[in-house]
Amino acid sequence: MEQVKLLIVGAGAAGLSAAMSAWDAGCRDILIADRSSIPGGVLPRCIHAGFGLTAFGEELCGPEYAERLLAGLVSTGVRLSLGTEVLSVSRGKTALLSCRGCVSLLHFEHLILASGCREKGIGALPVAGTRPAGIFTAGQAQEMINLRHQDLGGEVLILGSGDLGMIIARRFVLEGKHVIAVLEQADTFGGMARNYRRCIEAYQIPLRCRMTVGKIHGQGRISGVTAVHLDSGEQEFIACDTLVTALGLISERTLVQGLESSPWLSLAGNCSRVYDMVDSAVSQAQHIGREVGASLL
Amino acid sequence: MFSERRYDIVVIGAGLLGCFAARNLRRWKVSVALIEEREDVCTGISRANTAIIYSGYDHKPGTLKAKMTVQANARMDQLCRELDVPFSRCGSLMVSYGEKADAILKQKLHSGIQNGVPGLRLLSGPEAEQMEPALAHGVRSALYAPTAGTLNPWALGIAAFENACQNSADAFLKTTVLDISAVCGDYCVKTDRGNFLCRAVVNCAGLASDRVQKLLFPSPVSLSINAGDYLILDKTSRPMPRYILQYEPEEDDKGISVVPTVEGSLLVGPSERDGRPDYATDTEGLSFVRRQLRELLPDLRVDSVIRSFAAARPNPQRPDGSSIGSFVIEHPAHAFWSLIGIKTPGLTCADELGLYLAEKIAAELDADENTAFAPRRNGIPGVRGLEFAQRKELVQKNADYGEILCPCEEVTKAEVLEAIRRGACTVDAVKRRVGTGMGRCQGARCQQKIIAILSQELGIPESAVTKDGKGTEILYHGAS
Repeated sequence: MEQVKLLIVGAGAAGLSAAMSAWDAGCRDILIADRSSIPGGVLPRCIHAGFGLTAFGEELCGPEYAERLLAGLVSTGVRLSLGTEVLSVSRGKTALLSCRGCVSLLHFEHLILASGCREKGIGALPVAGTRPAGIFTAGQAQEMINLRHQDLGGEVLILGSGDLGMIIARRFVLEGKHVIAVLEQADTFGGMARNYRRCIEAYQIPLRCRMTVGKIHGQGRISGVTAVHLDSGEQEFIACDTLVTALGLISERTLVQGLESSPWLSLAGNCSRVYDMVDSAVSQAQHIGREVGASLL
Repeated sequence: MFSERRYDIVVIGAGLLGCFAARNLRRWKVSVALIEEREDVCTGISRANTAIIYSGYDHKPGTLKAKMTVQANARMDQLCRELDVPFSRCGSLMVSYGEKADAILKQKLHSGIQNGVPGLRLLSGPEAEQMEPALAHGVRSALYAPTAGTLNPWALGIAAFENACQNSADAFLKTTVLDISAVCGDYCVKTDRGNFLCRAVVNCAGLASDRVQKLLFPSPVSLSINAGDYLILDKTSRPMPRYILQYEPEEDDKGISVVPTVEGSLLVGPSERDGRPDYATDTEGLSFVRRQLRELLPDLRVDSVIRSFAAARPNPQRPDGSSIGSFVIEHPAHAFWSLIGIKTPGLTCADELGLYLAEKIAAELDADENTAFAPRRNGIPGVRGLEFAQRKELVQKNADYGEILCPCEEVTKAEVLEAIRRGACTVDAVKRRVGTGMGRCQGARCQQKIIAILSQELGIPESAVTKDGKGTEILYHGAS
């Protein structure tokens, strides 16, 4: 069986940063595994600016941020295994890895999980109605529009005004689409004030608070939703051909379910808790990387 | 263009029943055409149900339903081995929390014994809570049916379809029946893709089965449609029950079932209401299911719900509007058979019903036995749950077995390609065959990749790839 001192699962901002810090702390045997064929986690699809003010002292877009992190790793001996799914991890500190043409067992001394978040989907909400085409999560929409250059819709309704919801709303406007509204359950937008100003205000996208989606209409493709005013209970039909859900992020720790308290496991970045900013996730991941790196000397 | 084809038997509708009818008809030397309106099989009633293989205590002793269910249950292991379909005989517990339900359980025990259900036992509350610690405290009694089980209805229907085709039944998908006429002792089934002349017709048209019969004969039975709402909870939900749980509540008229599926997720439902055949869920129905689930399994986190969906169930009625509880098997004329509005336990009895019809028709047509009939079908090998060595062997044979496309359900590119090779041409058709997009992210991570592969394999642009057939294109096509 192959051996590695430090296995890092996830080559996003947290995984790359943890690897760099662990290397700097003296650990010389590090492997990062990531299922995607491109490194950077969600950064490559985040083509908007607004990253890196704390970490790099300048405003970068997602792909630039990823490049900076990768550039730092080039001169190190950290190995990066892309297109590689870590299928399972056992108590005996063995990981099962799978990539095209190869499946292998890998023994590690320490594991840093840097698997980020997954998005809560519409299925989690008690939304009635049909299940037509034309419903996407915000992250999925980002990937499809920004990386795959696909056209997702013309009349777009966004549910949820977290950062991801506001940013994808602006993205649709920039793509020449009509964003009907961003619906928000709470009294005000959910994300950072900066994103509200830059995405919602600047592009005059209607933000409608204390509202949610009660029912989805449409047989083939979505034709509209019944929106519910939470205070009055009143219902309103909103026609749309695309619904994008930005319902929040859940730390993705399924890989280590039941193993969370193992001494050989550390969580880096958004899989430990959901951070507002990449810089904060990076800073926590660097701390974890230093600690773990030093402990493995 | 006018085309005319000739078959001994035309089966209308490729749901579970139609697929099993076609499969079993090929046990005789008869040519079989299976006609389906949609681009895939099992897209109607079969696509959404409770996924339970019933033990057989629910039905009135002496009825065909009772007899067939017990018999079908006993043969399910063999059937699933033949068709290479995962089947979990996990047993079921019907639980009571009050006097009303106690009485129902006793009555079901009684009919179960008369029906010959093996191993049926009435448990005390503490016994039941010990067997299934996730249950809410205060169980008074429980009916334990060790022979009950669960399987994936799509998996079974698709397996029957593939096996029917292996045995030279001809499938005509995307073919709509327009009319049926009697021609010199034969039948002519007129479709939008030409006429089918045949000696016998088997009508398994599900929600349209009453209308299909009325194309040529009167139907003493018509269908209204009931709908039911379901929830699916992620496989990481805890505490995950071991048994199929059936709740017989004191307050509500109707209870729910909780099914630990073969995929590892938890299926909960259904509610019961009047419905339309649009498979739309209902707010009240969904909250009913959530409420009952909370009552039955209070420690289960309902925030692990990953999907809700609705099922349509036919409700066969007499002309006076009263419901018919038994299977409606119509035989209005020589060699014309209709299964009208088969509901629970249609999944359990699908093969039995198919065999029943096939025997009748074979006798009517005086057909000889087909000694070349091959009952075995191989499923699409998957990597999920495999030991390292087995996995390695697969990957060495086919590199695509290493490439995970759907991380939630651990489905590889090799499986997706094989599903497409076997006829899947939509994102949902791939899902029904290999489970992509059924997990906690509901396709948010794999759908894009499936679209790309479908586009490449089918030689169509990505913008033409659909979720579930015409009109469900996933990418945008401009204002219509």
